[in-house]
Amino acid sequence: MAACCAESGYGETTVDAVLERAGVTPESFDSHFAGKEDCALGALNKIVSDTLAQIAMANPLVGDVADRRKFEIKAILELMASQPAFAWLGYIESRQGGTPRMHDAYESGARVLALMMERAGDGVGERSGVARAALGGAEAVVRRELAAGREERLPQLLGDFVYAALVPFVGQREALRQAKLAEMVSVEEGNRGNDRD
Amino acid sequence: MIETERRDKLLRAMLDELALAGYEEASVERAQAAAGVSEAEFGVEFADKDACLFAAYDHLTDQVVARASLHCGHDKPWPERIRDGLEALLEELASEPRLAWALTRSFPGIRPAAYQRYVELLGRFIPFMREGREYSEVDEELPGEVELLAVGAAEAIIFGEVDAGRAERLPQMLPEILFSVLVPFMGPDRAADEMRSAAASI
Repeated sequence: MAACCAESGYGETTVDAVLERAGVTPESFDSHFAGKEDCALGALNKIVSDTLAQIAMANPLVGDVADRRKFEIKAILELMASQPAFAWLGYIESRQGGTPRMHDAYESGARVLALMMERAGDGVGERSGVARAALGGAEAVVRRELAAGREERLPQLLGDFVYAALVPFVGQREALRQAKLAEMVSVEEGNRGNDRD
Repeated sequence: MIETERRDKLLRAMLDELALAGYEEASVERAQAAAGVSEAEFGVEFADKDACLFAAYDHLTDQVVARASLHCGHDKPWPERIRDGLEALLEELASEPRLAWALTRSFPGIRPAAYQRYVELLGRFIPFMREGREYSEVDEELPGEVELLAVGAAEAIIFGEVDAGRAERLPQMLPEILFSVLVPFMGPDRAADEMRSAAASI
């Protein structure tokens, strides 16, 4: 379902195309889903639960809120890079192309992420809607990369996302410092990966 | 060849159809009737419904960007120009809620090729943002994507209002949107000063 939506959009995706792609019989589909929308909602639930699981696993037990946000953003970017079709469904199709129920699912997920970002300021400088707008900025970059088929680039933009998430709350100097620290973590992990290879 | 006035009416009518009826139900025939364009004239200009819709969207986005940029001249400091451009954009969207819906909601959702047009629309606002780097309170280079982060922040608020059927409220949200656009470039304190100044002028 996610791959078909990423290729053709939800509106032009048919259950037959999904079945053919997945190698699933109509009987099997019917035993799991009430229809196309139900299947798309199932795919959305999967990306949301995968995201939350990834965040939970990435979260370090030490460090302050900003530290934890860095690891959470990194986990989300890596997940999107590894599952671009699900990312398309979650960030683009459910927002602008799907049904009202898909849209509600997107809004719920976005609200959770915005609340997480508001906590990054530890209550300093919180303003209504600021976190949602900062998240919107990050989402615009994600959507541009997904639309261009450059999802593998997303983890390399970790510093930009950390900056966007923190700057309204902690100011430019601290947001830039955290962005640089995040980039260093990424580089170190990349080097460790290369050593293992 | 359809003359400019009727062509513009046709393009506008197609976007109205899209916003009101959705992509599947959007009717070329009703749009033709609204614009006084015959089927033969339509056929000369457009291959099909999609060709007309894409042309209509391109026409609309050209207008939106042109009107916003008209207010971003070079006779004022950058934050004021951004405020003026945003104000013009918000007023235009508020005065045409149906077009705002077509612009942000119905058209981009048609299929990935249509969504690409929406990505391109956001990208057209990036050049207006670049000068903001000169207003940073730190000496270090700001992140490479800071312009799109700012545009996307404004888009998120605008989209939220249009999506909720509250496009007419957008001009009142200028201070909040301005803060979100300026904060990556100027930091929260100076962006808040600009926000208060914009609030005072409403």
